[in-house]
Amino acid sequence: MTASQMPLLSAQDLARTYSIRRGMAGRVTNVRAVDGVTLTIARGETLGLVGESGCGKSTTARLVLGIERPDEGQVRFDGAPMPGSGSPGWAALRKRMQLVFQDPLSALDRRLPVGLQIREPLEIHRMGTPAEQNARVAEVMEEVGLQPHHADRHPHALSGGQRQRAVIARALVTQPDLLVCDEPISALDVSIQAQVMNLLVELQERLGMGMLFVSHDLRAVRQISHRVAVMYLGRIVEEGAPDEILHAPAHPYSQALVSAIPHPGKTARRIVLQGDPPNPADRPPGCAFHPRCPVTAMRCRTETPLLKPRPSDGRRVACHVAQGEVAPGHVGQLELS
Amino acid sequence: MAFVQIRDMSVAFGSAPALRGISLSVERGEALGLVGESGCGKSITWLAALGLLPRSAKVGGSVLLDGVELIGASPSVLEPVRGGRIAMIFQDPASSLNPVHRIGHQIAEALALHRGLTGAPARAEVIRLLDQVGIPDAKTRANAYPHELSGGQNQRVMIAMALAGEPELLVADEPTTALDVTIQAQILDLLGTIRRDTSMGLVLISHDLGVVSETCSRIAVMYAGRIVEQAESAAIFANPSHPYTRGLLGAMPPISGPRQKLVSIPGSVPEASRMPQGCAFAPRCSEAIADCTRVDPAAVTVEANHLAACIRATPAKTGTRTPERVLA
Repeated sequence: MTASQMPLLSAQDLARTYSIRRGMAGRVTNVRAVDGVTLTIARGETLGLVGESGCGKSTTARLVLGIERPDEGQVRFDGAPMPGSGSPGWAALRKRMQLVFQDPLSALDRRLPVGLQIREPLEIHRMGTPAEQNARVAEVMEEVGLQPHHADRHPHALSGGQRQRAVIARALVTQPDLLVCDEPISALDVSIQAQVMNLLVELQERLGMGMLFVSHDLRAVRQISHRVAVMYLGRIVEEGAPDEILHAPAHPYSQALVSAIPHPGKTARRIVLQGDPPNPADRPPGCAFHPRCPVTAMRCRTETPLLKPRPSDGRRVACHVAQGEVAPGHVGQLELS
Repeated sequence: MAFVQIRDMSVAFGSAPALRGISLSVERGEALGLVGESGCGKSITWLAALGLLPRSAKVGGSVLLDGVELIGASPSVLEPVRGGRIAMIFQDPASSLNPVHRIGHQIAEALALHRGLTGAPARAEVIRLLDQVGIPDAKTRANAYPHELSGGQNQRVMIAMALAGEPELLVADEPTTALDVTIQAQILDLLGTIRRDTSMGLVLISHDLGVVSETCSRIAVMYAGRIVEQAESAAIFANPSHPYTRGLLGAMPPISGPRQKLVSIPGSVPEASRMPQGCAFAPRCSEAIADCTRVDPAAVTVEANHLAACIRATPAKTGTRTPERVLA
């Protein structure tokens, strides 16, 4: 594999288990937040990671950045194994991979003007002279659409959209190769969401970085990503081009997610999933989705389906039924409304 | 006469206006969507109507419920209305429920208050209500504490509690915003079912035009303390007549068709204390003309049952605009 073909980021069979204790004297339970996730991101490519709360998408984001160490599996960045969190090698690598969080107000320090905060990564990584740092801060602020006078403002004196721009500017100031965005628009108002989505698409095209866009919103993921991975309870259940997944979802969970998107003029009937989002501390055996799945077959209760290309069209999907390995079970219970 | 008739209602906190003259009516059994971004006054409208704002708020105008004035009314008038004739549910069910009481007890409280039910009849009614809102195994679950239930189930409990007073109108303030996508679908579905079964009216407050369009037959769009447009849901999408409504529609990523830059609204919502001269939307409006910064436009009738507060809005020729970008 030559350097240009090598993915910027590749993660192989990542798994992460947390131990939690319920109450003061409660028994310790293991929560497998991420359970065998494999993904790659090329330079200039955006991978959208979509799923509901507790599905492990944020943990996956932390694992690929090396903020947390996987219990199993390996992350490779630019061809080399990810150094351990906190090691000098990792600290040096951090300037090449940056993170944008959901809530800009809590991601920024309220007591410091945003200009200083945008500059901070340059100081941490000792990049450039003070004059060069000033120039770079001015440049990146212009790139994200902030005015020079915003540099002297404190976070609370900026609007929600400007604050998220400041957070993005701070992430981009070191010219990273990989940008991980964890629900970057969910805390913003509708009109501001569109501004930030446009900005991320434009910056990604212009700067050619790889991007991992984590979101619960399939519409936003389609708008931004080149490829989409749907997660359910710690595993990727389907992966493909955004329009393939949105227009012809193969996994029953993707089908439910797509049909739950509210949109005007909707005529298709909605699949209403029964039950609650699953508890990662109490993972069902076999396919984790089977208790809520409208087409569960016997095999789904015992055997975990693997993510692999479907024979018919090569779509990567982890479902015995979608793969044609078993006939759909109790279709009669599929509740349409 | 409309069930609720709000006329020229205004609310101000100190010198900052939160509502700047709202006129809105809700018919009996109607589902009305109230859409706008944070701070536009969509929640304040109903808190003010039910007299639930702090005393520091200056409330003006009129709210008639079946012809009875609610603004400035005495507690004896308001109490049977709150939670009785008009019930309200909020975004975060966990913070609306009392964490130290069992959910059955909390619903029973509402039953005692609004319908005078106690003892065995109240217990039976609690179980019936939990059943109605789709809580499985209602008999056992009535003894659960809120933390033992998921977010979606807690929202169902809130809805059960709201239904305890057999309200004629349910005001649901962002009821699905804190919930996951598939759970949001369940709750919207439930609200639809309840409305079919009880002919209860619904005011759905949301920032999401998509959510509202599926559930409501009529939509009012709010911006900076004003209603800028109201019409039948289909007309809002087919013929959006206020630039802000068009902006909200353009900001929604399409689910098919070529991916292109979203039409975003530049800038951000004005602060209440620094409301611009003229039309509050003018500084962000791509279609603004000189007059927009001088005149605060009144609502004009664009077509039957379709009002827009924009000086450039004119009665539309029907069928000239197609909604393909939104409906695609």
